[in-house]
Amino acid sequence: MATNANDTASGPQTGVTLYSFTNEFLTRQFELDTLLAEVARRGLGPNIEIIGFQNFREFPDVSDAFAERFREMIAETGLNPVSCAINSDRFLKPGQQPIEDAALVEYHKRQLRSAKKLGFSLVRYQFALPVHLLPEIAPYAEELDIRMGVEVHAPMWAGHPAVQAYGEMYDKLDTPYLGWIPDFGGTASRIPESMLDAARAKGAKEDLLDKLTEVWLEEGMSHEKAAALREWGLAHGHEPLHIQAACLAFFILSNHDPRSWAALVDRTIHIHGKFYGVSEDLVEEAIDYDTILPLFKDGGFTGTMVSEWEGHAYDMRDAFEQVRRHQAMARRIWGG
Amino acid sequence: MLPVERVIGEEGLAVCQQDNGGKALRLAMRLPWYRSLPFSVVEIGPLSIDGRQIDLGDALIEYDGARWPLSENGEKVDTFWFIRDSAFLVLPSQSAEVGSSHEVSLNLFVSPPYIPGMKRTNPQTCTLTVQAA
Repeated sequence: MATNANDTASGPQTGVTLYSFTNEFLTRQFELDTLLAEVARRGLGPNIEIIGFQNFREFPDVSDAFAERFREMIAETGLNPVSCAINSDRFLKPGQQPIEDAALVEYHKRQLRSAKKLGFSLVRYQFALPVHLLPEIAPYAEELDIRMGVEVHAPMWAGHPAVQAYGEMYDKLDTPYLGWIPDFGGTASRIPESMLDAARAKGAKEDLLDKLTEVWLEEGMSHEKAAALREWGLAHGHEPLHIQAACLAFFILSNHDPRSWAALVDRTIHIHGKFYGVSEDLVEEAIDYDTILPLFKDGGFTGTMVSEWEGHAYDMRDAFEQVRRHQAMARRIWGG
Repeated sequence: MLPVERVIGEEGLAVCQQDNGGKALRLAMRLPWYRSLPFSVVEIGPLSIDGRQIDLGDALIEYDGARWPLSENGEKVDTFWFIRDSAFLVLPSQSAEVGSSHEVSLNLFVSPPYIPGMKRTNPQTCTLTVQAA
């Protein structure tokens, strides 16, 4: 029988998000039930995260019948459904105004109800939710008894103005139901070589990748940097698909101080252990885990870090092996 | 091609019967993203078959037992394309012999609704043999 790791934990816990297995799921190698069974069989749980809009056909409104079936899958596998990732889909008509605030609040409530019904103890939400709507949503999360963690994802980091604005609202609302979910892609030390190799394999030229590395290190919003590289690339004769492959880096990684996470530890309720490639000797190729992870253990974090392999965005390595190595790396650093 | 990039579905190209007794071509499509999205953020086309650009003015989308004109796709803000499913592009003005092979080029543009400013292009070309639906 699975137990809630957060109830009994004495230190940080490990787990996995099914997002790591995006390739295996999209190619129909696994159904949801067989994927959960495989995760359990390989001992990569018991703590798991699921993106509602990836693995649940009925999302954002799951039926009672499906919720019952999902709870059976969880009971059969002994997994622990810690986090359900929900989405702040505000731009439903490209090129037009975002949806009304009331519609966005209701969209979040629908997903919160589904996550609760499925047995998750927290949700991941996104900064696309304007901070002034938190006072409308937080009481609903309290009523449902489900915590909400906003994902601090690249290009954001602890020092980003949006994070600071959320922090001020968190102080004002002062509720344990709201917190942070750090995603370590925000403090990458470099662009992963495996990502650059994938762009090379598509035919991207070295001068485009050099320019990518240069622009990536600059300050600015992802879409502004992507636009700058696109403009430069087109002017220098690069293929649009090569430029697009290179621009991926702006949306999933940014270069900030790994030690900056210390400012967010107190309100961290869950972690996305973002990674791209862990070597056989248990070192991540772009993110400085040896600096980051002790901050959370020393700061008293007892929630779960789910291993989040994102190499599937550009190559087809064995996700199960990558997750195994990532969890082994976490145990090496955290002990136990 | 990565799973998150492909736009032509495993079910390929088929001739299907219309309610009015006529025939249409039907092309399977996959959503080139890692999560389900509302159809409103997916721009479908251009499509060419054997190098000929296809007029999509009367094209329909068929998904999960429902059909709607492609021209109304931008309004489908609460109809979600599940990431494992194929949706189908129905072309009432097109036909082909069952068993014949054709080079099909399709592009789908995706604008993720939580990432302002991102619009991805996803061109794919395949040679498909026409099935009987």
